[in-house]
Amino acid sequence: MKIAVLMKDVPDLVEELEVEDGALPLDDMSFVPSEWDDQALEEALLMKEEADVEVTAVAIDTGDVDNMLFTALAKGADRAVKLVGDFSRTLPNRLRARLFAQYCQAQAIDVVLTGVQAIDDLDGQIAGLVAGLTGRAHASVVRDVHIEGSQVTCVQEYSGGKMAEMQLAVPAVLGIQAARKPPRYVTIAKVRQIQKSATLEEVEAEAGTAPLVTVRRIYKPEAAGHAEMWGDDVDAVAESIVRLLEDKKLLRS
Amino acid sequence: MLRTLLMALTVAMVVAAGALFARRVAAIVGVMRTARPTLRTDRVGERIQSVVEHVLLHRRMFRITLSGVLHYFIFSGFVVLLIDIVETVGEVFVPGFTVGRILAPLVDIWVILVAIGILLALYNRLIIRPARFQGSDEKDAFLILGLIGAIIVGIVIHDSFFPFVAREVLHVPDPVAHAHFLGWGLSRLWVALGWTGPGAASVGYAFGYLLDMGVVLAFLAYLPYSKHLHIFAAVPNIFIRNLGPKGALLAKPVEESMAIRTFQDLSWKDISDLYTCTECGRCQAVCPAHAAGQPLSPKMVILELRDALNERIARGTAFSAEEPPLAGGVISKEELWACTTCGACQEACPVFIEHVPKIAGMRAALLEEGDIDPNAQKVLVAWDRQGNSFGQPARKRPVWAKNIDVPIKDARKEPVDWLWFVGDFAALDPRVQRLTQLIARLLHHAGVDFGILYESEANAGNEALRIGEYGLFEALALKNIEALNKAQYRRIFTTDPHSLNALKNEYRKFGFEAEVLHYTEAFLELIDQGQLSVSSVPVRATYHDPCYLGRWNGIVEAPRQLMQRLGVDLVEMPRHGAQSFCCGAGGGRIWMDETGITDRPANQRIREAMRLSNVHFFVVACPKDVSMFNASVTAMGVEEEMRVVDMAELLAVAVGLESAEETLLVSS
Repeated sequence: MKIAVLMKDVPDLVEELEVEDGALPLDDMSFVPSEWDDQALEEALLMKEEADVEVTAVAIDTGDVDNMLFTALAKGADRAVKLVGDFSRTLPNRLRARLFAQYCQAQAIDVVLTGVQAIDDLDGQIAGLVAGLTGRAHASVVRDVHIEGSQVTCVQEYSGGKMAEMQLAVPAVLGIQAARKPPRYVTIAKVRQIQKSATLEEVEAEAGTAPLVTVRRIYKPEAAGHAEMWGDDVDAVAESIVRLLEDKKLLRS
Repeated sequence: MLRTLLMALTVAMVVAAGALFARRVAAIVGVMRTARPTLRTDRVGERIQSVVEHVLLHRRMFRITLSGVLHYFIFSGFVVLLIDIVETVGEVFVPGFTVGRILAPLVDIWVILVAIGILLALYNRLIIRPARFQGSDEKDAFLILGLIGAIIVGIVIHDSFFPFVAREVLHVPDPVAHAHFLGWGLSRLWVALGWTGPGAASVGYAFGYLLDMGVVLAFLAYLPYSKHLHIFAAVPNIFIRNLGPKGALLAKPVEESMAIRTFQDLSWKDISDLYTCTECGRCQAVCPAHAAGQPLSPKMVILELRDALNERIARGTAFSAEEPPLAGGVISKEELWACTTCGACQEACPVFIEHVPKIAGMRAALLEEGDIDPNAQKVLVAWDRQGNSFGQPARKRPVWAKNIDVPIKDARKEPVDWLWFVGDFAALDPRVQRLTQLIARLLHHAGVDFGILYESEANAGNEALRIGEYGLFEALALKNIEALNKAQYRRIFTTDPHSLNALKNEYRKFGFEAEVLHYTEAFLELIDQGQLSVSSVPVRATYHDPCYLGRWNGIVEAPRQLMQRLGVDLVEMPRHGAQSFCCGAGGGRIWMDETGITDRPANQRIREAMRLSNVHFFVVACPKDVSMFNASVTAMGVEEEMRVVDMAELLAVAVGLESAEETLLVSS
């Protein structure tokens, strides 16, 4: 059975986002694999440990995705594919989904896993879009994926701690919320070794067109109010707390 | 007839014992030959000197007086035993042979000393029962003591019958009969009993001879199967010890992987270590992880490896990949991740076993399987992405330097006299930043031309290497070396002992050999050169040696002299200098889960300080110690009784930058 993990990299939020001329200076930012895609990859690797499946990590060449793909190989993916063409960092999800959908159809992928969301999803999530384009069964915000014959099962969590166990016929697309275990660590040396010994498969791809959204401007929210600083005088602060509780009628006498 | 019989028996026993001994040693040497190479036969002069110091003079052995003394008696007995063997075999094979009147009584003197040694050993093992013997093979210890006892009894018995055998059976003179004063004394009993004729004397002599030589040869055959192989292995193992630099975990850059999965991944010195272990447990007694209630004992790591190797040699599978891996199989991952890499075990070991490189290598094997504490994993990712353990953007690293009133030069842009390698904790831990700024103000006050690398500095990689992540260590090291090579400076100093260790010892393998000082050394120099005038800070304080300063780098005097210059009344804790007790933070432990820890090492250390009379200041010289020990005194609720003070704070008070009332909470 063939599993594909659709991956992308996103700005590293460790850095504070700067806004320059109403846009993010993407060229100056550092990028890291989207954490939900990392979870999807881990779930696929865990599935590989319990069933006879081939795991392929797939990413679109929107910049520097090589390291992410080599890392996937070092972690245990069987293949790593880079969809190449003229793509920018701001490639919208509608177009990303078309590229992924073409690849999954052409390669007859049985189960597609991807992160349930990414921090830069502007126009919908990849899983649903790919499922729609390929006409496949789809579930999102799921975890605990297992293969049973020609079916996949997974778990979806509802509010109030209720769980639903679901079953989908293959081929299927799943938006992964979290893997069963935290994503594994792979050593720098192992990634470097893979970089020397393995190659990324490059597949030419064309996105075509799709209805898109445009970002008019990015800006910092205007402050609606300000915090009042009470200083560090213990007695004064204590009094202020009591007064506040009284004002809000939270004190009963 | 007696001679022929004894000669035949002796030859047969020598052949049998020699064959058993050789077979065993050949198997062990066979494993050593396939193990990883390491250069341990250079600097012969120093090596011989270290053998003299640690074998003949028993330097480390005497750190525990009773064990040192009893071992010295028994050890020296083995040397004197050679005289007896030569004499005894000589008497039988060469009629009329004698060692002379000077050497002969030495045997008797040492029989007494060895007997005292055995009694002290029994007293130690049966009455005192030190906890360090827990897990050791005590039966083996008693068996060996019994065998040694049998040998000395045998010696006295054959010496006591020899005058009669010489006269009645061999018809040769026995000029040393009186010189063997113990045997002579016992022979008076045979005279009284009338056992002096050829028959009785022959039987008595043969019994003593076989008790002596038979047990000696049985010993020879048994040794390589027991912990007492150290009798032969200790001398070469001390000879091939690591002559340094002590703080370098790996002497050379790693080509493929530092991971230890099979016995072939160990070095030949590592294999030698396994067979040299005497099971004395001194390493276990000083191990902070063991003291904290964790499943690690450095002794058991060595014994578990040795036992597994012995089983595999017996099964013929020493090199088989089918056997369970060493990391996570023979040694549990809980044991491996509990190590703080403090090196107390290696410092305590009388036969120079190296525990830490084995543990780090096995950690590397676990890490390559993705087995790592989740928090430590986050730190590894943060080092890789941001270059610091705090997961802060690299540009936040020098923020502490921006909001103080002294200018701090950018060593990347202008030449500086002293380049300050700040380190993660000093730069980014909010609790330590204040001290870092204080040091900047002290340097400014002393008129030192100094600078930092700003955001080009990354974590030094000392802990990444000790977690087993060599590739990450190398990447961090090369990044720092690149930044350092671009800067212009005369010398480097650092506030962080862990960075110091990496810069000074681990970066050498990449060709970086600049002089690196710890800030206590730097400030001592400034005071001694008259660049910094200090007034007295008359407090009574104890000083905690950081493992990576005192033990791994031997910097124990500079901090003490600095305190002396400041007029501090230093009261030492029982464990100090190279024998200091770890705070529990090293080797990546500071980021790992504390499950299983019943008594934190840092708390134990604070209690050790609190047992000192009238000492209320706990002086530290390591940013990690600042956070570890402050956390301890807070958790223990003893902030009033024991105040954790950084050396920088003492200096600040001494030069008048801060007041003693505010900084040290003492009334002037």
